[in-house]
Amino acid sequence: MKTISSLLDAEWHERYQSISKLNIRSSIYDVTNRCNLRCKGCFFFSSGENNVVEEMDVGRWVRFVDNEKKRGVNLAILIGGEPTLCLDRVEAFYRRMPTFCATNGIIRVPRERFPHMMVGISVWGDEEDERLLRGKDTFSISRKNYEGDPHAYYLYTITPKQIGKSERIIRKIRDAGLKVHMQLLSNDEAVDGFSWKDAELKDIRSEMDDLLEQYPGTVISSKYYHEIITTGKMGDRRFGWEECPSVSEPMDHRDRPQRRLIGFIRWASDLKTIYRCCTSQTRDCSTCKDGAAHMSWVMVNKRAHMDSPEHLQGWIEVYEMFARLYQFIPW
Amino acid sequence: MTHPNDISKIIVRIAEIMIDELKLEDVTPETFDPEIDLIDEVGIDSMDLATIALVLRDEYGIVIDEDDYPKLNNIRLIAEYIQKRVDEGKQG
Repeated sequence: MKTISSLLDAEWHERYQSISKLNIRSSIYDVTNRCNLRCKGCFFFSSGENNVVEEMDVGRWVRFVDNEKKRGVNLAILIGGEPTLCLDRVEAFYRRMPTFCATNGIIRVPRERFPHMMVGISVWGDEEDERLLRGKDTFSISRKNYEGDPHAYYLYTITPKQIGKSERIIRKIRDAGLKVHMQLLSNDEAVDGFSWKDAELKDIRSEMDDLLEQYPGTVISSKYYHEIITTGKMGDRRFGWEECPSVSEPMDHRDRPQRRLIGFIRWASDLKTIYRCCTSQTRDCSTCKDGAAHMSWVMVNKRAHMDSPEHLQGWIEVYEMFARLYQFIPW
Repeated sequence: MTHPNDISKIIVRIAEIMIDELKLEDVTPETFDPEIDLIDEVGIDSMDLATIALVLRDEYGIVIDEDDYPKLNNIRLIAEYIQKRVDEGKQG
């Protein structure tokens, strides 16, 4: 039987042991339906998920979070809408469990109130893409808001138009004293020119690998993740509905048993509605490029990576990346 | 149902269940080291443990509390846990 220690040398084994018992149990929460942007390609609005009636009573949010803790959740991932429009709700999570807040970065999270909360700032392509897709260049605003913040990083959503141009964005992020994690645009509203072609995915994989080598202190990523996210393949398996680990558990009625995130739910801001998965229920799973879903896909399939030292090391790097992005281990 | 009056029989049966359910290769119930760390060495995760727990529930009529998973990191410990719970059930 292949064992972990038979596959790894002492250094890798130590890295494995630092993550093997983390037992991360995440769920995703829409904090609000409102946003200060209306981006072309944002699944939240294109799928009509902004139409539930928000829970306005903060006391009910507090009780809800307490129940989520009892359910075993140990990582709250806050999305929206724009969570920073409702900081009292964000605080209901932050005071009770490890919390990550996704934001477009236009409003700065007040650090005196949320000193250690990890903040993921979205940037879509470059300034030109941002103006086209999001209506304004949020990157310039968010860089000023979060410059040098040790608990913030950029979630750089690369678009097909960024091929050959992404290095400039990474450099600007480095110069602002921030980290960056890369993912790929899922073109949910079929904006012309923003859907990926196979050759473009091949090119951007190579570019992402180069960026990781060139900016190791800035880019939080791994080459194996680049392979998974650009090919949608893990060995002979292809990412899609049948494989996705990020399906809300009460809505997971798939026929055959799945390797999945235990207890995962994506909650709407009415605190009652449960969405199908971590992204839009209208998205075509076969073209989904969601970074966290692909990372989780690797993470829940550890034993499938125990066929060679290189494969298991790839698994460890993806797990470490996820654990860093959500502050379970240091940068 | 297996009568859990012999810890060595329970150990072999758990090993057999693990090999079958988790499709473990190059190991037999008899050669499966009952002391080997299931997480740090075999690479089993909490979802695997939940799968095994379901089979053990059906076989021995005991529920393994999810909070107990971290303590049950080898087959011998799982076997002792089962034996203890079954004995408690008999006394109760």
